[in-house]
Amino acid sequence: MPDTSDERGKEETRLDRRELLKKAAVGAAAVGVSGAAAPFSFAGPHKYKGRWLKGDLSIIQWVHFVPAYDDWFDNTWVKTWGQKNDVQVNVEHINNTLLDTRAAAEVAAQSGHDLFMAIHPMASFEDQVINHAPVVQEIEAKVGKYGPLGRASTYNPKTKKYFAVSDSYVPDPVVWRHDLWNGIGEAPYTWAHVAKAAPKLKQIGHPIGIGQSQELDSNMALIAFLMCFGGFIQNADNHPTLNSKHTVEAVKFMTDLYKNGEDSVIFGWNPASNNNYLYAGTASMILNAISATRTPESLGLPFSKDLWIWPIPSGPHGRLGLEHVMGCYSIWKFAQNKQNAQQFLADLCINYKQATLASQLYNFPSFPGAFSFDQIRKAAAADTHPPKGKYTILTTIAEKYTHNIGYPGTTNAAIDEIFSKYLIPQMFAQVSQGKLSAADSVRDTMSAAKNIYAKWRARGKI
Amino acid sequence: MTSGWRHKAFSYGVVIPFAIVLAFPFVWMAVTSFKPEAQVYDPTKVWTFHPTLASYSFLFHHTGYLRWLRNSSFVGLMVVLITLAVALPAGYALARLSGRVGRSLGVGIFLTYLVPPTLLFLPLSRVISKLHLEDRLWALILVYPSFTIPFAVWLLMGFFKTIPQELEDAALMDGCSRLGSLVRIVFPISIPGILTVVIFTFSLVVNEFVYAITFISSSTNRTLTVGVPTDLIRGDLFNWPGIMAAILIPSIPLALVYNAFLNRFIAGFTGGAFR
Repeated sequence: MPDTSDERGKEETRLDRRELLKKAAVGAAAVGVSGAAAPFSFAGPHKYKGRWLKGDLSIIQWVHFVPAYDDWFDNTWVKTWGQKNDVQVNVEHINNTLLDTRAAAEVAAQSGHDLFMAIHPMASFEDQVINHAPVVQEIEAKVGKYGPLGRASTYNPKTKKYFAVSDSYVPDPVVWRHDLWNGIGEAPYTWAHVAKAAPKLKQIGHPIGIGQSQELDSNMALIAFLMCFGGFIQNADNHPTLNSKHTVEAVKFMTDLYKNGEDSVIFGWNPASNNNYLYAGTASMILNAISATRTPESLGLPFSKDLWIWPIPSGPHGRLGLEHVMGCYSIWKFAQNKQNAQQFLADLCINYKQATLASQLYNFPSFPGAFSFDQIRKAAAADTHPPKGKYTILTTIAEKYTHNIGYPGTTNAAIDEIFSKYLIPQMFAQVSQGKLSAADSVRDTMSAAKNIYAKWRARGKI
Repeated sequence: MTSGWRHKAFSYGVVIPFAIVLAFPFVWMAVTSFKPEAQVYDPTKVWTFHPTLASYSFLFHHTGYLRWLRNSSFVGLMVVLITLAVALPAGYALARLSGRVGRSLGVGIFLTYLVPPTLLFLPLSRVISKLHLEDRLWALILVYPSFTIPFAVWLLMGFFKTIPQELEDAALMDGCSRLGSLVRIVFPISIPGILTVVIFTFSLVVNEFVYAITFISSSTNRTLTVGVPTDLIRGDLFNWPGIMAAILIPSIPLALVYNAFLNRFIAGFTGGAFR
C-alpha cells in the first residue's frame, strides 16, 4: 500500500492555503471597495460656514518645522484672509526636499498651484513666472522698502524682473555645545579657533558636524565658509570667480578640519542629519537654523540648555553668512487665479509680524518694516528657554551677517543651478576624501560653473 | 550520524547570521516605534526604554494614516487587476503564438520596465494634465501599469513556456477553444506565476514614490509613500517613532503573505529558468 500520509499532509496544507487565499482575497476586496470611496470623497477647498466663497486660490508650500506656524497659516491666516476677500484658499504642504521636483512637474504639465513656495530662490524658473513687481510695490507702499537680502535673492537686474517675492528668510547661526567647548577652554569666535578646538573635541568623542554632502545644509554651510575666506562663486557683476587662491585656501582649511576634527559620516548626510548628530549628543558644533535648538528644548534633551547660538565664525575675509532657507513665493504664468495670488502674497508680507511670532522667530520678514529688528530683538529677549536671552543674537545675525546666495552678486539662474547641483559640497568632499587636490577640485568646479554661466548668459538671464 | 549533525550545523551556521542581519532592520523598526521621541536620541536607551504607544496614537489620530493606507490599497488592487487583465493574455500570446518575433517583442517590452520614473514623470505630468486627472488616484492607476505590465508580461512569458504544450493540444483536440484552454488548463496551472505577479505588482505600487508625489497634492488623496514623509518629517525634524510605526504596519501583512506563499513565489520566478 503506498504511503499517502505525505500526500494527505500536502492536501491538508493545500486546503489551508486555499482557505487563506480565499480569506485574503475577500479581505483585499473589502479594503479595495472601502478604498474605492477615496477618490470620490469630497476633497474640495475649505468651505466657510454659511456661504460658499466666490474666488479660488491654491497654494503649495513646505511643511514648516514649527507645527504652530502651519497651524497658524492654515487655520487662522488663510481662513481669515479667505473670508475677508471672498476667496476659497486651498493650501497643500509637502516635504521641502520635494518642492523642486513638484515645481518641475507643474512646469512640464503647465498646470499646478497658483502660488508656489520654494525655500530657495528658483531663478531658473524665471521664464515660467510672472513679473512680481506690482506685488513688491504694493508691499513697499505699506511697510517700506524690500530688504536688500530679499531683493538680491529675487530680482534679476538683467531682465529687470522680480521672479519671486520672498516673504521671509531664516538666519543660519552656529549651534554649539557650550559645555563641551568650555571644557577645553575654547569658543568658536573664528575659524582658526574652530580648527584649534576640533581635534580636542573629536578626541573626547564630540566631533564638529559640518556636512560635505549633496544636501541643503552642507550647501549653505560651505558656501558661507568659503565667503569667510574670501572665496566667492561670482563677483558683484555676476561673473564667476570661484577659482581663486582664497577658494583653494578655504578648501585646504576645511580638509584639515575634516581630518582632525570630523567624522566620515558627513559625506552621506541629508538635511536632518546634522540635527540628529546634535540631538544624539555627538556633535559639538553644527551650522543650522534654530530648529536645532528648539527641538532639544521641546524634547527636554539633557544638554538643551548648553546649546548656544552664535554668528558664523569669522575667517580671514570677515564674518559672512547665508540664510538657512528663504521663503520665495512665485506665481506661475499658467496660474488660474493670478489676481488672488498677488493679493494674498502682498497681504501676507504686509502682516508678517504674526507669521514671525507664529514661527517662534524662525522666519524673519524679508520686508523689515513689517516687523522691525528692534521689535524682534525684544520678542527674542522674552524667550524663557535657558540660557535666557540666547535668541537675541539671532537678530544681529539676521541684520548683519546674513547674505544672499551668490553674494556679492545677485541670486541668478546660474547660481540656482550651481546650488541645485551641489557643486560646492562636491568640490570640498573630493578633496577631503583624497580624490583630488584642492587646486584641481577648484579648477574642475570652476570649469563646470563657467559652462553654466555661459548657458544662462546665452539665454539672456545674466 | 556525525556527518548529518555537521551538515545541519553548517547549514544553520550559514543561515542564522543571514537571518539575523536581514531581520534586524525590522526589529529596529519595531523597537523604535515604541520609544518616546526624546529617547530615540539617547544612546543609553537603545534597548532599555519606557515603551509607549504614543507614536501609534499620533499616527491614527493626528494624521491621515488610515486614509493613506486605504488609498494605497485601492490603487494597488486596481493596478493588480489591470496588470493581470493585460499581462496574462499578452504573456500567453508572446510565449505561445508569436514564435521568434514574440521572444524579441517580450524582451523589448521588458526593457521599457528599465526606464526610470525620474525620467518619465515630466512628460507624464503633461499627459495627466491633459486628461484632467491632477490630484486624483486615477492618475496613479493609469500610470502605474506602465511599469507593472512589462515586468508581469516578462515573468508570465517565462512561466507559460514551462507548461507542456501537449496539455493545451489535448484540450484543443477535445473541442476546447483557445480561450477555454487558457482559462481551464493554463491559468490553473499558472497559479504560482499569477500569485508572483500579484504580490510583486502590489509591492511595486505600494512602494512607488515619484509618481505619487508628482501627481497627488491634496492630503486626502495621498498614498502611504507620500503621506509618511510629508506629515512625519517637518523641515529637518524627523518623527522617528512615528515613521517607524507607519512603515511597520503595512510591512507585517506583506511579510506574512510572502511567507505563506513562499514556495509558489519561488516557483513563479524560477518557472521559466529551467526549461
